[in-house]
Amino acid sequence: MRAALAAAVLGAFTIAQAQDKPAASPPPSWQQGKPAAMQESTLHPFAIEMTGKAAKDLPVDKLKVPAGFKVEVWAEGMPGARSMAQGDKGTLFVGTRQLSDVYAVTEKGGKREAKVVLKDLDAPNGLVFNKGTLFVAERGRITRYDGIENNLDNPPQPKVIVDNLDPNKQPGHFWKFLTLGPDGKLYFNIGAPGNIVMPTYMEASVMRVDMKGTLETVALGVRNSVGMDFNPKTKELWFTNHARDWLGDDSPNDTLHRVSRKGMHFGYPYCHQGDTPDPEFGKHRSCKEFDKPALKLGAHIAPIGMRFYNGKMFPAEYQNNIFIAMRGSWNRTVKQGYNVMRVVLDDSGKVTKYEPFLTGFLLDAKSDPPMWGRPNDVMVMKDGSLLVSDDQNGIIYRVSYGK
Amino acid sequence: MRLGVCAAALALAGAAAAADPQAGKSKAAACVACHGEAGNSTNPAVPSLAGQPEKFIATALFMFRAGSRQDAQMTPMAKPLSNTEMNDLAAYFAAQKTAAPRHQTKPENAAAGPEAAKKFNCTQCHGPRLLGQQQMPRLAGQHYEYLRAQLAAFKAGKRADLDGNMTAAAQALSDKDIEVLADYLAGLGGE
Repeated sequence: MRAALAAAVLGAFTIAQAQDKPAASPPPSWQQGKPAAMQESTLHPFAIEMTGKAAKDLPVDKLKVPAGFKVEVWAEGMPGARSMAQGDKGTLFVGTRQLSDVYAVTEKGGKREAKVVLKDLDAPNGLVFNKGTLFVAERGRITRYDGIENNLDNPPQPKVIVDNLDPNKQPGHFWKFLTLGPDGKLYFNIGAPGNIVMPTYMEASVMRVDMKGTLETVALGVRNSVGMDFNPKTKELWFTNHARDWLGDDSPNDTLHRVSRKGMHFGYPYCHQGDTPDPEFGKHRSCKEFDKPALKLGAHIAPIGMRFYNGKMFPAEYQNNIFIAMRGSWNRTVKQGYNVMRVVLDDSGKVTKYEPFLTGFLLDAKSDPPMWGRPNDVMVMKDGSLLVSDDQNGIIYRVSYGK
Repeated sequence: MRLGVCAAALALAGAAAAADPQAGKSKAAACVACHGEAGNSTNPAVPSLAGQPEKFIATALFMFRAGSRQDAQMTPMAKPLSNTEMNDLAAYFAAQKTAAPRHQTKPENAAAGPEAAKKFNCTQCHGPRLLGQQQMPRLAGQHYEYLRAQLAAFKAGKRADLDGNMTAAAQALSDKDIEVLADYLAGLGGE
């Protein structure tokens, strides 16, 4: 009796106290998992320029490529420009994440022109073009636009391949990259719901879907992959992955992965970079259980788009290299990255070299912001040149060789 | 000599990656009708734009045009603007000097304000001195009535923000907290 009364009084007191002093505001979602020891840290992500920036107002002359290569501004005026896909007739389609648009870049009378071709979509980040059809991955669905390149002024209504991929509509890494497999299926990611959170069914994975909508899991334990491509020689899927934040300047590494069999598990949330148990979730599973990355890319460096180079323009030693666009870092006191990197593989698919290819976006590793632009995706054009999108400014650069 | 000064000024503008403030000024006549001379508003319901971060102004204009942020006066003003015009206007108002605040913070809030700003994570994004940075607005010296109205709208889920963080932060605010914060911020100067 006394105990019950005491509990009732205590309960009433707690409620009164709660009304008197509401809980402090929740921290911003990107601070999820920030340990007590780092509470004073002022590190924060950088927002893009929602209205874009003009190349003339930016230090684009700072961009550097290896000897014999040339880099130039190819198109601008596409705020939030991210993933790229080229149509059969040469149209470049460009997706966005923070905006709701897909752009089309066309050439008319020798003039290049960018315009919005699809609008009011939900983070249309993933794009694939194949045989006249543009496939678009939004947060919650994957759709197809048949014959769009013939109807850029009046695009067709989309047909849905799969829907309901984002049922909870909560913050999380749910924007998607999209690529087409040699099996004719579309491969995409469903990321983790937060920085370091136990994922639920289908989260933290790489999936694939066929044209009828049949879903399969390809890889698990993948926190946030927003770039993938198939090795043209071996037909294996490779992808980039962002590791968790708030474990210090040098840990853990973001990673490059090779999928040599279906159902591989790369460790999230238990184990990072193949060998580093998570301070909180690591106790549940051992790193020994999980598949290892093909390459550690650097901490917090934010690898996004990656493509194998199979064009005809670059020197022979670039054949089957991987180019990776690094959009970070922010979660590091001294910034690194903001480059396009080159990865060289031997015939067995082992990494033999990892070096910068396009640099110059990082101005001052200790200032805020540290960079003037951010490479987001890379794409090999039909002529063999390499396009690089910069979503910070809404600009696309072109890297070419020779002449 | 004059050339030297001019070159130095240009170099600074280049470092900030500014758009064209002169072009912005020529388009700002409609803005200053409500937002005040050089963006220092004298209408308590209308925010000051002078000295706001360039990226914040451009982002706010973007949101009005896109429709995620709505206002009877601002929505039609933003609708016809191109990205370049938004950037030029942002560059102009960001470069204007902020007038000293007219608001006098109540003595009790001069002490309670900084505590509340820390507790509710204001300083996490808006900066240690609440002068704003990048896409986050300057709060120091903004109008008391405007701040109150915005905080209440964030709390009610009626004011969009870029990533949902401001709406989340406002959920913990009581009416009293809003009062304390608005009174403290409106009286806060500093360059």
